[in-house]
Amino acid sequence: MPPQAALVNLSPAELSFLRSALSQTPPLRLDVTKGPRDFRSMRAECDVLPSANGSARIALEDGTEALVGVKAEVDTTPQRPVLGEQEHVVTNNGDEDSSANGKGRNGWIEMSVQVPGFRDDDALPVFLASMLSDSLLAGGQLKDRLYINTRFHWKLYIDILLLSPPLSYPLGLLSMATHLALLSTHLPSLKSEKDEDPLFDDDWAAASPLYPRSSSKPLTARDMPPVIILAIAVGPNIIFDPAKEELAVADAVLAVACTTSGGSGAGAKIVSIRTIDPPSHLTPPAVPNSMNSATGGTAPDSSAQALTMREMLATSGVWTPPRGGMKRGLVSQVTKMVVEKGGVAEEVIGALAGIEVG
Amino acid sequence: MGVSILPPSAPLPPRRDAPTEDSDVDMSDDELPTSNTASIVTPGEHITSDPQWMRGHGTYVPAGSGTIISTVAGSLHKTNKLLSVQPLRARYQPEIGDLVIGRIVNVQTKKWSVDIAAPMLANLPLSSINLPGGILRRRTAVDELNIRTFFSEGDLLVAEVQSLHQDNTASLHTRSLKYGKLRNGLFTSLSGAGGGILSRKGGVVRSRRQVFTLNTAAGEIDVVLGVNGYIFISKHTVVAASTTETGINRLDEQVTETLYSSQNDEIEAPVMKEITRVSTLIKGLVACGTKVDEDTIVKVYEGAVELEAEEQSLGGVEKGVGAKGVVEAVLARLEVESAG
Repeated sequence: MPPQAALVNLSPAELSFLRSALSQTPPLRLDVTKGPRDFRSMRAECDVLPSANGSARIALEDGTEALVGVKAEVDTTPQRPVLGEQEHVVTNNGDEDSSANGKGRNGWIEMSVQVPGFRDDDALPVFLASMLSDSLLAGGQLKDRLYINTRFHWKLYIDILLLSPPLSYPLGLLSMATHLALLSTHLPSLKSEKDEDPLFDDDWAAASPLYPRSSSKPLTARDMPPVIILAIAVGPNIIFDPAKEELAVADAVLAVACTTSGGSGAGAKIVSIRTIDPPSHLTPPAVPNSMNSATGGTAPDSSAQALTMREMLATSGVWTPPRGGMKRGLVSQVTKMVVEKGGVAEEVIGALAGIEVG
Repeated sequence: MGVSILPPSAPLPPRRDAPTEDSDVDMSDDELPTSNTASIVTPGEHITSDPQWMRGHGTYVPAGSGTIISTVAGSLHKTNKLLSVQPLRARYQPEIGDLVIGRIVNVQTKKWSVDIAAPMLANLPLSSINLPGGILRRRTAVDELNIRTFFSEGDLLVAEVQSLHQDNTASLHTRSLKYGKLRNGLFTSLSGAGGGILSRKGGVVRSRRQVFTLNTAAGEIDVVLGVNGYIFISKHTVVAASTTETGINRLDEQVTETLYSSQNDEIEAPVMKEITRVSTLIKGLVACGTKVDEDTIVKVYEGAVELEAEEQSLGGVEKGVGAKGVVEAVLARLEVESAG
């Protein structure tokens, strides 16, 4: 059995059709009712798992569904060996210790992604997990919130399950589900003080949210977990939330992780940004009629001749896989569309916050 | 409206075309654990041990007992004294003579393996395709070497089921000008349509016209509905028949020129738009659980075009309602029209 089916299983004629439809102005998407900035409609809910600290479920209309559970555990912080005198480390009930800023460590968040049909060590789940955790850690505020005192900290386990086979590249969906789950995450409130062994309040109602909600401040000022937004470029067009077939003809794919701008009030800020190798690079090129012996053409004798014949090809309608990376102008255009006031990031975060409020 | 995220919906209402009462005879006096037909039985569930019932499709009677057990997950149907379970989702069961759309999965020395959404891959032998340069040509060793110039991996084709083997694998043929490689269009699939007994309940209907041409404002569009739930929508191509020499052979030669081409013709933007629109509407029809056949497609397409024109004349065109939303709106309008 082959380890993994080919990512793109479309015929050259289909690829060529999709590509020319998406490069129209305005682009014709696979779902004609959607514009280039529209996301596929989805259904979401929070707090679905009673035994987790926070959880969320998002289902797309085509049946793709993701479930995320967040579980927190108290863990001891290993004390680093210190050169010289020990007295500084022993009891630290001083005042300089009250703030947790900069004390969080990356290892305090553990993320696992499970995709049906893939092993844990397959490229897709590993890559997805690293992209999601990178964007979470990049902000820096989350890991600081897990700090309890010098000896103890919270350890956050984020388990992400894709319940259906990946019909399209699931990064956006998983990130939105993780965002919702983290928003609904509550940690028991602490009763002990300073460096005592931690003691928590039994009352679940007194638990404090990991991302505190404030009614006075506007949505943009609230600290939010990051959301990853996928964008593809086809010719001059930029399309958000691509379906599988749209992804198959993309020139370039960009994953932009962003969060609320925090204070300044307008738009969003970028936490991390990555390009993803589009599957279109792996597709074989179409054989034009002039090179196909079954359609009255003459097959080239050597690969060098085939190459020159291809380069001289002028007709449209022959699928040629895109070459090269993403233009810098396009990258800046995408980031601008995401972060500007009233941009895509604000819409997504706003829609997700609407679900959390209920 | 860029992003729409909704809370989970209540359970779906019953399908639009589902009959309210499925049994032919009223059997309320009989003892059946599942009295209402709306309930779902699961594999291994005991349906009844009453000896008056006979087992039908989707059921099983273990040796030495009289209990009828369901073998699939689906709804229970009674026809007189026959009990059958109609699966909720099923793969396509090929039958001889079915028009199917398939995708080449792999290429072997003398045949192709084709995915036709059946439990097993179908075969397409090199001997049952039309070779270029006239139908009545002998298959040669050169053709065997050039097998990839006819069909290669990923290519879509329309074919007919020629025969079935013992293990229910199908053998296909494309020995007609109607069949062959597909291009100039868009592929859509309905999952779990099943065909046969299931076609009552959404999915492509067998024994209806499956290849038809749709007239649109932009031009004609060909729609091919495969019984296996695969659908191809493409630009209508007219074979330019020369007026001087319209013999059968002449026509064949013209067709075979482009029979195995994998490059698209020039497609005008409006035609492309209509092709994508039809494909979106078919997806919407499936989401609404409606049958997909010529009648419904034509009706819904015309309704959708009318709706868009009206919205445009009113000013604001609502974008992003989704395929399902559009089809629901059109079906609601059609219902109102037929009632009033």
